[in-house]
Amino acid sequence: MKFKLFSLIAIAVFVLSACGSPSTSTTGTVIPTTPATQSAPALTSRGPAVLHIGWTEEPDTLNPAYAFLTSSYTTFDLIYNPLTTEAPDGKYVGGLAKDWSVAADNLTWTIHLKDGIKWHNGEAFKASQIVWDINAIIEHPDWWSTLSNYTNGFKTVTAPDDTTVQIVTEYPIANMDYRLSFLYAVYPPDFQNFKSAEELQNFNNFSPIGTGPFKVNVYEKDKNILTLDVNKDYFGGVPKVDQIIFQKFDNADAMVQALKVGDIDVIASVPATAFETVKGFDNVKTTSNDSSYFNELIINSVDPKNNPAPKRNPALEDPQVRLALETAINRKDIVDIALQGLGSPGDSIIPPVMGGGFWRSPNIKDVQFDIAAANKILDDAGYVKGSDGVRTKDKLRLEFRLQYPTSNPVYPRIADMLAGWYQQIGVKANVEAISSDSLTAAMTPTGDYDLVIWGWGPDPDPDFILSVLTTDQFVSGGWSDSGYHNPEYDSLYLQQQQAIDKTQRQQIVWKMQEMVYNDRPYIVLYYEKLLQAYRSDKFTGFVVSKLGIEAAASLTQVEPVK
Amino acid sequence: MNRRDYLLRKLGFSLVTVLVVVIINFILFRVLPGDPVRAVIGRNVRISPEIQQALRVQFGLDKPVFPDQFIDTLGQWLQGNLGVSWSQRQPVKDILFSKLGNTLLLIGLGQILSIILGVALGLLAGWKRKTAIDVGALTFSLVAWATPTFWLGIILLAAGSAWLGLPTGGIVSPANVSKPLYTVIPDLARHLILPTLTLTILYLGEYMLIMRSSILEVLSEDYILTAKAKGMSHWQVLMRHALKNAMLPIVTLIALNLGFTVSGAIYIETVFSYDGLGNLFQDALTKQDYPLLQGAFLLLAISVILANMFADILYTYLDPRVKAN
Repeated sequence: MKFKLFSLIAIAVFVLSACGSPSTSTTGTVIPTTPATQSAPALTSRGPAVLHIGWTEEPDTLNPAYAFLTSSYTTFDLIYNPLTTEAPDGKYVGGLAKDWSVAADNLTWTIHLKDGIKWHNGEAFKASQIVWDINAIIEHPDWWSTLSNYTNGFKTVTAPDDTTVQIVTEYPIANMDYRLSFLYAVYPPDFQNFKSAEELQNFNNFSPIGTGPFKVNVYEKDKNILTLDVNKDYFGGVPKVDQIIFQKFDNADAMVQALKVGDIDVIASVPATAFETVKGFDNVKTTSNDSSYFNELIINSVDPKNNPAPKRNPALEDPQVRLALETAINRKDIVDIALQGLGSPGDSIIPPVMGGGFWRSPNIKDVQFDIAAANKILDDAGYVKGSDGVRTKDKLRLEFRLQYPTSNPVYPRIADMLAGWYQQIGVKANVEAISSDSLTAAMTPTGDYDLVIWGWGPDPDPDFILSVLTTDQFVSGGWSDSGYHNPEYDSLYLQQQQAIDKTQRQQIVWKMQEMVYNDRPYIVLYYEKLLQAYRSDKFTGFVVSKLGIEAAASLTQVEPVK
Repeated sequence: MNRRDYLLRKLGFSLVTVLVVVIINFILFRVLPGDPVRAVIGRNVRISPEIQQALRVQFGLDKPVFPDQFIDTLGQWLQGNLGVSWSQRQPVKDILFSKLGNTLLLIGLGQILSIILGVALGLLAGWKRKTAIDVGALTFSLVAWATPTFWLGIILLAAGSAWLGLPTGGIVSPANVSKPLYTVIPDLARHLILPTLTLTILYLGEYMLIMRSSILEVLSEDYILTAKAKGMSHWQVLMRHALKNAMLPIVTLIALNLGFTVSGAIYIETVFSYDGLGNLFQDALTKQDYPLLQGAFLLLAISVILANMFADILYTYLDPRVKAN
């Protein structure tokens, strides 16, 4: 016993002595932190420029075949180059591609590549290599789970010479710009030797070879650090920072504190609750930009003839009830109160920032909030208030389940606000929080719900968010949660996919969003804002856009403050 | 019954417990509603139903839960193979081991410090009963014990980073991540100070309170009076007669706490972005990553069982009555 106590004390003494000693860690790179007492050995007049970025989510993998998280794609855009890339204004510009065009048959695409492209290992990049990459996806769509959608309809992909790629498609593809922006040039030898989907997807690609402006120095998943070094041979102009360190924080408040004391220089997403505080920090600039994320009230629109039959209040099939439900919503209050002003009122499923506003229909006029008008709509439709204040018409009673997933902290507040307005128009909403998984299971393909609050993060191209409301998607594993079924909408969806002419496609997209707006499977409540912050005393030149200040388009422009 | 039989019996019970845990684990995660494939891929990506089905086949989810999935899983486990995590695509064993070290380091340090300080404080308070020292120590311990983990952590983090320049998260500085831990001990120590301090304060109160009441009970025993009557010094009485007997409840508490140590202090690890098992559990649960969850719970169960066995063995040394029975 004595011995045991002694050894315990010995360990404790050791620990305390280790804690007590001041930090003497010396490293190859000088990291700008709060002014410390020790003076770094003078490298030159100033050390390498190291940009520290804090985020709350690290890449799930650096293997594009199986990457789900946004942070993975942020990283891919820094270390790899896709053929095209989305610019901050929402238009597409060349990545590896110098130009791209389609022949008169609308099927044969010719892509000319830029000159002087090199892999991180110094080898010259050839068109045949990205052709191999694309063909690998076409050959095994199930191996390349997360990229396979982008090559749907590709028939042959070839390289007539070292700087030209030719893609022949089975049918005209309207959103080729966007599709090409996910086709990255990965180094074929890294991916050539896998024998099954499992083998390929289990490959974590911790030391990727790419062509991008930065290359991976260290990726230590266990220690939450991703370190990228500048690619001094980058064909698109060498970035002005020497190193970027992404550090993952499990706690957003700790991340905010790290920005305050200067441990990090950028926060990729500031929690809304801390935004006002961060604004007040010395030497910190905040940015608030419209994002494409929207949140909506989903109205059960499942076909009554569906198998299994939807379990819902049939009153929801009445368009007048839907109109009243929207008229009783005060979107401005939702933004001002629930979001503390950090959002904007919503209407269309096509957010204003998508494609720089190109895809958004100008014909959508917001229904104005008006409780009296909502009451009148229901009166005129024959719904009469009973003694308990709830309207009924024959067997129909306006009492609905109003559910939301527990994943979003703002939803409970919004649900209460909605229930309050609905009470004023004689509609009873029974608010219920439920886990995302259980809610998904109840909605698709069972259709067992009335009203649900949820959100979407649409792609840069309208195709994905439009597909969510097609009839085909209301199956197990599909993305339709509303059960919206409209044959005209479905056929327009197919048309817009093949409308190579941009103006023609725009007209179809406008029409589709108007249909959704008027039929109300979704009542879009608000668009979210992207809240970010950076240390203005250390770095400058961030490009503020919906892409985020941590996007490749911004980080290739950032420079240290002189 | 001799000590060997006693230990063998304990070992047998432990094995049965592990088996029961394995079965419950398997069933528990599969009665949860939802679709693991959807949980892994999230909500904002474009994975067609066909590709989702391909993933389901790959994960073995297309087969019936019972008996196919159960027999598959059990067979793999018997070969020492915990499977591959669906969300991270790395062997579960590797993931668990990489985080286990981190967690043991943090929680081990915090536990050792809180045990030493808590026991010492408890002894002192018990010995100096009804003095200002006792009241002070008691108040401190009650407050420490009642403080919410998350709150204390965030307060210490804000104060420590602003006034002492201590790091706001992680295990080592970014520049040191690729080096072996023993080469960057000063940096590691700087990162450990705040989380260890939080942990120490939180556990200290519990140890102190138990120790205090235990020592008070022992001090009222006749043999203490006898020892005093024999002319032994206060120190001798305390160390030779009182401490050993008063340690029994503490040993139980330590064993229980150490068992749950492996689950990690989820709150502390979250506040300080400390990449340990606690964080991993939470992540695996939200993503319905069955292989990872099962592996993690197996590890947790085994460590709790081992800690209990350890306590039982220690008892046979500390308390002769256990041996006699």
